[in-house]
Amino acid sequence: MGDDKKTEQELIVSRQVLSIPQRFSTGPVMGRFLRELRDNKRIMANRCPQCGRHQLPPREVCALCRVEATEWDELGPEGTVRDFDVVFYASPDPLSGETRKTPYVACWADLDGTQGDAPLWHLLDAPDPSKVRPGLRIRAVFADQRKGSMEDIKHFEIIDEPSRREHGDRTGPSEPRP
Amino acid sequence: MSEHEQDAFVVEGKMALPYQYFAGATGSKFITTLRDEKKILGVRCDKCSKTFVPPRQTCERCFSNLTDSWVKVEPVGEVTGFTVIRYGEPYQPKAPPYVLALIKLDGADTPIAHVLDCGDVTNAEVGMRVRAVFSEERKDNLLEIAHFEPAKP
Repeated sequence: MGDDKKTEQELIVSRQVLSIPQRFSTGPVMGRFLRELRDNKRIMANRCPQCGRHQLPPREVCALCRVEATEWDELGPEGTVRDFDVVFYASPDPLSGETRKTPYVACWADLDGTQGDAPLWHLLDAPDPSKVRPGLRIRAVFADQRKGSMEDIKHFEIIDEPSRREHGDRTGPSEPRP
Repeated sequence: MSEHEQDAFVVEGKMALPYQYFAGATGSKFITTLRDEKKILGVRCDKCSKTFVPPRQTCERCFSNLTDSWVKVEPVGEVTGFTVIRYGEPYQPKAPPYVLALIKLDGADTPIAHVLDCGDVTNAEVGMRVRAVFSEERKDNLLEIAHFEPAKP
């Protein structure tokens, strides 16, 4: 393809953002979770009456015991980083189409009060991603304008509590897991 | 309203899909010629005696390289099939209802899909003679042809 004519040719690239409207029917259980985020800035999980573990985000039936999980508890809003990713790939946010600023940090958060194994995934606002470690204490930051979606939690922020910031501490919540 | 009814609600959202389409050397020449010269180009495979519009890099039958086999086709042709679009999406070229037709241009052996503006959508017919109407605005895509319209005899 060393032909000069070809290399001088104008090449057409079309860049577009398709915007697809979508409606999500929450149902009563996810709906309660989202409503509590929106109206009360509370992170609610439901608890299995049989094994006592939390489900976060909630689901109607305990995935292990297969009984309806009808009890509700507020978790967090503080918690601990269980695991995290530092993301350098400028992926578009599927909900807005806007390219996320990189690097950004996403983490699995073990919220205080969680029974069992139910970390919540969310963005972590970390000014210095190289300082993020499992065991870091964090707190949910809620959006000012909330509409009943996961984005009602804007992100988690790091609580400045050096005594608890232990390198390599991978322990999750203090309660035993099933 | 019971608590359960209050808890089941609908979240309106949107999903954005950013994408890039690269027209390639052959597709780019097709579009820039539409834009700059108001001419419709195809490529001809002499071996198969077949003219492809829109153009393609290789013959679909014998895989011959067609990158330098450009031929001009007429901006008039015949409708070989059509459908009526009756729903609206933001990315569509026109508000519904409108006709999307397959049009075989004179000199071409393959049809090209494009918008047919024939007044009422029920006027569309297979075999109809139609003519390309070029866009007055710069589009840098297939909408350099704004639409086709019935050709006056």
